[in-house]
Amino acid sequence: MKNTYSWVLWLASSLLIILSTRNPFYLLILLINLFITGQQLAKRENHPLWALHNFRFLLTMLILSALINTLFTHTGRSVIFSLPENWLLIGGNITYESLVFGLINGFVIGGIYIAFNIINLALSIKQLTHLIPKAFRPIGMTATIALTFFPSIQQRAREIKEAQMIRGNPMKRISDWVPLFIPLLVTSLENAILLSASMTSRGFYRQQSESTMSDLPLISLILSAFMVFSGWILRMYDYPKLISILLYIAAATIIFLTLFLTGRRSQATQYHQEIWQKKDILASVLFIAAVLIWNLVKYYNLIPSLSYSPYPELPFPDIQPAYIFFLFVPLLPVLLQSDD
Amino acid sequence: MKKQLLGALADLIVLVIGVLSLLSPFIFPGLRSAETFSNTFPLMVSLIIILCLLILFYETQETLLDSKIIAFLGVLIAINAALRFLETAIPGPAGFSPTFFLIILTGYFFGSRIGFLMGAMTMFVSGLITGGVGPWLPGQMITAGWVGQSAAILKVFNKKAQWQGKAPEIITLAAFGAVWGLVYGMIMNLWFWPFLAGAPGQIWLHSAYIGINFQRYLAYYLATSLVWDITRAIGNILITSVMAKPVIKILKRFTTRFSFDYREQHQS
Repeated sequence: MKNTYSWVLWLASSLLIILSTRNPFYLLILLINLFITGQQLAKRENHPLWALHNFRFLLTMLILSALINTLFTHTGRSVIFSLPENWLLIGGNITYESLVFGLINGFVIGGIYIAFNIINLALSIKQLTHLIPKAFRPIGMTATIALTFFPSIQQRAREIKEAQMIRGNPMKRISDWVPLFIPLLVTSLENAILLSASMTSRGFYRQQSESTMSDLPLISLILSAFMVFSGWILRMYDYPKLISILLYIAAATIIFLTLFLTGRRSQATQYHQEIWQKKDILASVLFIAAVLIWNLVKYYNLIPSLSYSPYPELPFPDIQPAYIFFLFVPLLPVLLQSDD
Repeated sequence: MKKQLLGALADLIVLVIGVLSLLSPFIFPGLRSAETFSNTFPLMVSLIIILCLLILFYETQETLLDSKIIAFLGVLIAINAALRFLETAIPGPAGFSPTFFLIILTGYFFGSRIGFLMGAMTMFVSGLITGGVGPWLPGQMITAGWVGQSAAILKVFNKKAQWQGKAPEIITLAAFGAVWGLVYGMIMNLWFWPFLAGAPGQIWLHSAYIGINFQRYLAYYLATSLVWDITRAIGNILITSVMAKPVIKILKRFTTRFSFDYREQHQS
């Protein structure tokens, strides 16, 4: 699976599933699947320490989250020990229930982080910049210039630093960095002048007074942001789900149409076209299907075991085999790639 | 005039929606679906912030239709992204970041639109380079954008006080950097806090008044981020005090060098 949009769909469906459950068993299976997918990609991209780095982060999050929750939350019946009541906010019972809740939060945060790390591994910088819609061509162009200039600026910074150190500059205090930063800034801005001249000579030019942007896309985007925000707040106050869903669908349609129609006006040549292989199409269809089925299942509350609370006394989490199927969605890229 | 008015309105709406989303745990007490709220909070806030970014990018990108500005900003962003790598090279404790001072100076010198783009795109580009793309990125982008955008206000203030080119100009810039060093961390914590706080009725009380939740947030902030943010604030003061004067001089010089326009030659 190599297509950018297939990976975006993978991310969306994985995040949806991770954020939908607090059941520790389900979260554990999800994390294992994420690690397998990440490790497979890390092997391909030659990142031998990927799993170790991510495991270390997961461990840190588990400890941090468990510590914060245990210290600040004093609910639960299984008391481990007690801190004096007069200690501001942290005073009270330290319970197993709050410890478990903290660990579950750590699992979710770790899952989100690893899912995004997999995306960083799966997609190149070029693929990620391609995700900038055509309607934002000047933004995309600025980002591309910055990414193109970055290696040469880094190289120049290294050279100036070495030259300064040869001249006896210890480069230890912030003031020692002035002789590095100023020449770096000057030479880079000189390059910007040359770049601007070559851009103009290649036809990237506009009269300063000229205004080409229409106001309608801006108004549409403002309207859609307001719709999403309203849908979210209404949902929080237990207004019918349908109102929020309709607002989200309307906002998504407006955003899609705005970006599509505005992007169509942009006359930019795209040198690198996205390739849709059979596997990409199959994976994308499966991700979309998983999201749709998942939302239907959630809408009708068919999997109650998703929500798990350790309070007031640590219960054993339920496991429903019907849900296990969804937990393997993050593993789909590995399953599809097995015959490569 | 109509365009300027619409631009100002877009900025205001984005600020209101963005701030309301981030502050929703404080200002919408009595949420009935508190569990849904804390579960979906980081994702929904990230989504709303992405939409706010789309609005601001659309509104500000008109400035970028000039090849000189696009090249100038692209290079400045690349320098700032490289500075983010130097975080480990420049001596400083955890939390120290050399990227903010250039964002502040760009906003201060070139105005709110360029300042916003500089802040937001620095985070975007360095996120791409460092593999730091995640749900935190939209929050980082909009907050860093606000850092650059708000620096333009400081220029108006310094101009009125006739402090430009004098020592108080550097002092106000350093103080501005210090304030943002703390506020940036506070905002970045907000999008995550109700989620980490877990179930309703615990760290974040869904039915509590603003004051109580604010007190709890403050305790959480003190315990997890204050030291980190203080070092960022001190770092901003030091780096601005040392670098601001020569950098402003260079930016002035290059503004003059960039102040030319191409005219089409009409064939007779």
